[in-house]
Amino acid sequence: MTAFILRRLWQMVPTLAGVILLVFFLFNWVGGDPALVLAGKVADPATIANIRRQLGVDQPYWVQLWIFVKQVFTFDFGRSWSTNEEVAHVILTRIGPTLTIMVPVMLIGTTLAVLFAVLVAYVRGTLTDRIVMIVATTAMSVSFLVYIIVFQWLFGFRFGIFPVQGWTDDFWTNLTRYAPLPIILAVLVGLAPELRLYRSFFLEELEQDYVRTARAKGLSEARVLLRHVLRNALIPILTNIGIYLPGLFVGSFLLEVFFAIPGLGREIIGAVNRSDFPVIKAVTVYLAMFTMLVNLLVDLAYRFVDPRVTFR
Amino acid sequence: MASLTVVAFFVALMLSSALGFVAHDWSAEVGISYAPPAFIAAGARETTGAGLETAAAVTGPKPVDISDVDPLAPRYAEWRERAGKIESVRFHPSATLPLGGDKWGRDVLKKTIKGSEVSITVGLVAALLAVALGAVFGATAGYWGGRVDDMFEWLYNVFTSIPYILLILAFAAVLSRGLATIILILGLTGWTGVYRLMRAEYIKHAGREYVRAAQAIGASHAARMFRHILPNTGHVMLVQLSQHVVQFIKAEVILSFLGLGVPVSMVSWGTMLAEAQEELVIGKWWQLVAAGTSMAVLVTAVSLLTDAMRDALDPRLR
Amino acid sequence: MSILPRINLIAGYGGRNSKPPAGIGLLSYLRALLKSKTPRLAIIRPMPSTRLRVRAAALLACMVAAVAGVAAAAGPAQGLKVVRFAFRAVETGFDPQRVDDLYSSAVNGEIFESLLQFDYLARPVRLMPQVAERVPEPEEGGLVYTFHLKQGVYFADDPAFRGRRRELVAGDAVYALKRLRDPRNRAPYAWLVENRIVGLDEAHDAAVQSGAFDYDAPVAGLQVLDRYTLRIRLKRPDFNFLYIFTMPQTAPVAREVIEAYAADTMAHPVGTGPFRLVQWVRRSKIVLERNPVYRGDVLETAYADPKDPIDQRVIRELTGKRLPQLDRVELYPIEEEQPRFLAFMNGEHDLLQETPAAYINQVLPGGHLAPTLARAGVGFQREVAPSITYDLFQMENPVVGGYTPSQVALRRAMVLGHDRGAEIAIVRRGVDVPAQSPVPPGVVGYDAGFNSGAEQDFDPARAQALLDLYGFVDRDGDGFRERPDGSLLVIDYMHSTGGQTARALAELWEKSMRRIGIRLVPRAVQFSDQIRDRKAGKFMLASAAWAADYPDAQNFLQLLYGPYSGDSNDSRFRLPAYDRLYEQALAMPDSPERNALYREMCRLMLAYAPWRLGIDRVFVNLYRPWVLGYKKHPMYHISLRFLDVDLALQQAAAGP
Repeated sequence: MTAFILRRLWQMVPTLAGVILLVFFLFNWVGGDPALVLAGKVADPATIANIRRQLGVDQPYWVQLWIFVKQVFTFDFGRSWSTNEEVAHVILTRIGPTLTIMVPVMLIGTTLAVLFAVLVAYVRGTLTDRIVMIVATTAMSVSFLVYIIVFQWLFGFRFGIFPVQGWTDDFWTNLTRYAPLPIILAVLVGLAPELRLYRSFFLEELEQDYVRTARAKGLSEARVLLRHVLRNALIPILTNIGIYLPGLFVGSFLLEVFFAIPGLGREIIGAVNRSDFPVIKAVTVYLAMFTMLVNLLVDLAYRFVDPRVTFR
Repeated sequence: MASLTVVAFFVALMLSSALGFVAHDWSAEVGISYAPPAFIAAGARETTGAGLETAAAVTGPKPVDISDVDPLAPRYAEWRERAGKIESVRFHPSATLPLGGDKWGRDVLKKTIKGSEVSITVGLVAALLAVALGAVFGATAGYWGGRVDDMFEWLYNVFTSIPYILLILAFAAVLSRGLATIILILGLTGWTGVYRLMRAEYIKHAGREYVRAAQAIGASHAARMFRHILPNTGHVMLVQLSQHVVQFIKAEVILSFLGLGVPVSMVSWGTMLAEAQEELVIGKWWQLVAAGTSMAVLVTAVSLLTDAMRDALDPRLR
Repeated sequence: MSILPRINLIAGYGGRNSKPPAGIGLLSYLRALLKSKTPRLAIIRPMPSTRLRVRAAALLACMVAAVAGVAAAAGPAQGLKVVRFAFRAVETGFDPQRVDDLYSSAVNGEIFESLLQFDYLARPVRLMPQVAERVPEPEEGGLVYTFHLKQGVYFADDPAFRGRRRELVAGDAVYALKRLRDPRNRAPYAWLVENRIVGLDEAHDAAVQSGAFDYDAPVAGLQVLDRYTLRIRLKRPDFNFLYIFTMPQTAPVAREVIEAYAADTMAHPVGTGPFRLVQWVRRSKIVLERNPVYRGDVLETAYADPKDPIDQRVIRELTGKRLPQLDRVELYPIEEEQPRFLAFMNGEHDLLQETPAAYINQVLPGGHLAPTLARAGVGFQREVAPSITYDLFQMENPVVGGYTPSQVALRRAMVLGHDRGAEIAIVRRGVDVPAQSPVPPGVVGYDAGFNSGAEQDFDPARAQALLDLYGFVDRDGDGFRERPDGSLLVIDYMHSTGGQTARALAELWEKSMRRIGIRLVPRAVQFSDQIRDRKAGKFMLASAAWAADYPDAQNFLQLLYGPYSGDSNDSRFRLPAYDRLYEQALAMPDSPERNALYREMCRLMLAYAPWRLGIDRVFVNLYRPWVLGYKKHPMYHISLRFLDVDLALQQAAAGP
C-alpha cells in the first residue's frame, strides 16, 4: 500500500514537469510582453526597459524557466502584476468564497443526482423514465449563461427573493444570504447531466450477474438497488466526483462574475483580462498538483468502497 | 428520428446560410432599433432612447469656420456641388420584425440563422480537430505501445491534470482573438477524452486476429493502423464527434460572453446571448429567446441523436 | 482620474516591488493556517471514515474562517451613519503614489490629504487649499511655488509612530514627490513631476544607476524652508503646475509608515484625511471609518451658485455640521453592470454613480425619473464629465496618415461618414452628448461656443462627395472604393476585447464605412496588445478615451503635441503650427489670450482630422433620499466628507 502510494507519487514527477513546461511555454513564450501593461498610460521606453528588467523577462528563456521552477517549489510566485498583492495571498483568500459556493453545490448536487438516478433506474423503461430523460436532455441543452441571466433577473430583481450580489466576511451570512441563489442555480444546472450519467452507471450495474443472483434470492427490487447496485455504482460515481473535484476550486467563474463573489474563478477571469500572468500561472500549476493528488485519493478510496480492488 | 430531422434541418440551414441562400443580409438594418416581434400586439408602446438627447440637442452656436486652415479649402465649391448631387437614400425601417430586431434594427431571425452557421461551424470544426488529434494520438499510442505510448500518456496526463476550463482560459490568455483562435483553443484542449477511448480501442484491436492476419499478408503498419483498425473504431469517433460538437457549441457561448469570442463582423449564438444580457433588463427578451431556444433545440437534438447512435453502434452501453 | 474607467477596469495598473520582499510563501501560509487548528494535513493516511470526515470538515471550516478574516463584524451598530455603494471597477490599492486608477485614487483622496483641493460646490472648478494654508501664487513668472502648510495637522494613529502623535510637515510633502520618481515604485503618475522639478530627474537617474533612491539627498528644486514651508522650483514656467497638488498622487505620506510596511504599502494607508481604512477584502470590499484624529472641516459656501437647486440643497443639508458626518463607508467593487445596478434598485446600496447606460431607460424613461424611483424619493444628478472618447488615426500610416489634401480628405470623409447620431442614440442609449472639440466641458479653456458639427456630424453625402473628389472611387465594381492610385483600401480598426460597448462601436464603424463604400475590418485585441500596438504605432484606426487628470484644456491638447509622439500622442500627429501654439500656451497663465490659442489648436485638429471626436461622457448619478449633501464633483469620483445620512429617513424606508 505504501509502496503503491510512493510509486504513484513518483509517477507524478514527469507529469508535473510537463505541466510546468506547458505553462511556461504558454506564458513566457506565446504570451505578450507584460511590461507594456504595467507601464501605465504614459510609458516611455526607459520605463518599459526598467520594468522588463525588474520582471526578468529580458533574460534568456532558460533562465526564466529556472526562475519559474524555483517559484513553483518555493510556493512563492511573487506578486500579482496588477495589484501587487502576493500571489499566495490571492489564492488563499479567494479559495474560501469559491468553496462556500462549490462545496454545498457538490454535496447537494451529488446527493440529489444519485437519489433521482436511483429512482429513475427503479422505474427504467417506463414512460416516467423516458420523460425524465428527455427533460434532462433538454435542460442540459440550454446554455448556463441563459440560466444565470434569467434566474438572476427573475429571483434577484423581479421577485427580490435573494440579494443580487454581495459578500461579507462572515461565513454564515455568506452561506445563508448570498450563496443560496448561486448554489441553487449550479445545482439545478448540474443535476441534468449528472442524473443522466449516474442513471447509466446504475443501468450498467443492473445488467451484472450478481443482480440476477440477488433477484433470484427473492430480494425486492428496491433492496437490490439500494444494497447491491448502489454500492457498486459508487465506483464510477466516485471517479466522476474525482474528476470534478479540482474544478471545484476554480468554481463556476460565471457565477462568481455575475454574483460578484470574490472567488478564485472571478480572480482568474480578471487575471486573463489584465494579462496578470503570475496569478494564472500559479493557479494552473497548483491546481494541476492538486488534481494529481485527488486522483491518487480516488484510487485509494476505491479500496474502501470495493474491497475487491487491489493495489498493484 | 425526430432528432435526426432537427439536426438535418440545422445543417441544411447552416449550409444554405454559408452558401448565401438565406440570411446573407443579416447585418442589414431593416427595422427600427429593438423592433418588437411581429406576433406581439402592435400596440406595444415605444420608448426609444432615454429622451436625454433631445434635452442635449439645443440649437448650438454657429459652426466654427476652419476654411483658413483647411487643406481642403481650395475645393470647397466643388465639394459642395458634388455633395448636393448625391441623393440620400430614403429608408423606411419597419416597426416590427418576425422575431424582433436588435439594437441596430437587424432582423433577429436572420441573425439567429447566421449565428447558427457560425456556432455550428465553430462546434463542428473544433470537434473535428479535437477528434482528429485524439484519434491520431490515441491510435499511435495504442498501436505502438511502449515508449510512444508512454509519451502520449505523459501528454495526456499533463493536459488532464489542469482543470479544463482553466486550460481554456490559459490558452485564451495568451492567444490573439478571432474565429480561428476559438477553434484552435477548443480543439487543442479538447482532444483528451477522444484520445483515451481511441487508445483503448487500438490496444484492444491490435491484438485481434484480423490484424494479425493483415500483418501476415504483409500489410504495413500504416495500413493496419488506418485501413484495418480505424474503420472498426468509427462508432467511437462518431459518438465522440457529436458529443464534442455539443460541448463546443456551449463553450463558444461562454467564451463569447467573456469577450474571447468571434469577431465583430460575425454573429454567433454566443454573441447574441452576450448582447441579450442587458437587453433582458430593458425588457427586450426576443434575442435571448431566439438564440437560447435555437441553441437548445439543436443541442437537444444532437444529444438525443448521440444517445441513439451509441445505443445502435455500441450495444454494451446504454 | 486617468483614462476612462472602462480601460482602467481592464488595466488595473499598479506597481510591484523589484524584488518580492521576504515573501510569505504559500507554504508558510498553509503552515500558519494549520498549526493552531488541526494537527496535520494527513488525510492521505487511511483512517476510520468518521474521523476523516470530522477532520476534513475541521480543515475546511478553518480554511473558510481564515479566509473570511477575523473581523466578523455582524453589521453596523444602530445609529451609525453608513453609506454603501459600488465601484464599477476593482481597486488597486492605497499607496497614493503608486496607483493611477480612478477608484483607488478616490479612496486615497479620503484617507490622505493633498496640499490643495477643489472647492466642493464651485463650478467651474476652483482651487482651494487643503493642508496648505492658501493656494500659492506663481513666483518668478511661473517658475517657483511656495507652499505654507497648516500647523497642527496630524496623521491617523498607527503603530509605526510608536504611540506618538505625528504632525504633518513639509518634509512629508517632499517625500511624496520623491517617491513618485523612485524607480522602485514604478509610479504610474511619475510623469506629473517628470522633467518639471529642478534636480528631481537627476535624483531619479542616480537611483536607476545605483538601484536605490537616496531620499536623504537634497533635491535643488524641493526646498524645505522650515517645518511648514516648502518651495518648489521648476525647470520651465508652468501655470498649470498647481493642479497636480489636488491629486492624491502628490499627497504627503509619512516615511516611517512607508518604511514600516514596505512589503505591502498598498494595504496600509495612514493619512491625515477624514477617513481611515479599517477593512480591505481585495476586489470585493473596502470599509472606511471616520478618522478620530481628523481635525474636522465645514462646508465652504462662498463659491456656491445661490440659484442652483443642488447647491441650495447641499447648503441646507450641511450648514452648521462638522464634517465628516459619516461613521462608516462600505465600498464594493462590482464589475458586472447588472449586479451593480440591481444592488441599488434593491436598496442594498445608497448611491449609484455612473448608472450603466444599458439601464438608463429604467431609470430615466423619456428623460424623467421612473415613477417607482420617484416614489421612493430617489434623487438624480446628470453630470457632463470632463472626459471624451475619440478614435485616432495613425498619422504615420501610409493609408490613413499624412498631411496632403487627398490624405486629409480620406480622414475627413471617414469622420463625416461615421454615424455619430447612431452612436449616441443606440450605443450610448442617448445618454452622452457629441464632443465638439478635444476639450470637454468642465475644464479650463473649454469653449461652449465651439461648434464643430459641420466637420464631425454624420453627413454621408458630403463624405461620399469628398471621396469622389479626391479619387477614392470604386474601380472594380465590388462596392468598395480603392485608393487614388488604384490599390486596395482596407481600414484596420483596433478595439479592445470584451464589453458590449466596444463591440457595438466596432459594428457601427464597419456599418458606417460600408455605407460610404469603405472597407473597414475591426480587430479586437487584448488590452496589453492594444497598448503595445498603440505605443508602437502599429494600427490605422483605434478607439481611445481620455479623462481629465487636471481640469485644464492643456491636459487634452497635449495628446496631439508633436514631440509627445509615441508617448502620450498616440496618433503621432505632428503639425508645426499646432506645436508652436501649444508651446506658446504653455507659458501663459489662464487668460482669454490663452483660450484663443486653444481654440486655434482645436480648429487645426478639425482641419487635419487626426481624431474623430466621439462623445463627452454624461453620467447619471442616483442617490437614496437619506443621502444628504450629495453633489458630484467633476474631478472627484466621490466626496465622502461632504455626505451625511438622515437616519430617520433611512430607518423609515427600511421598516416596511
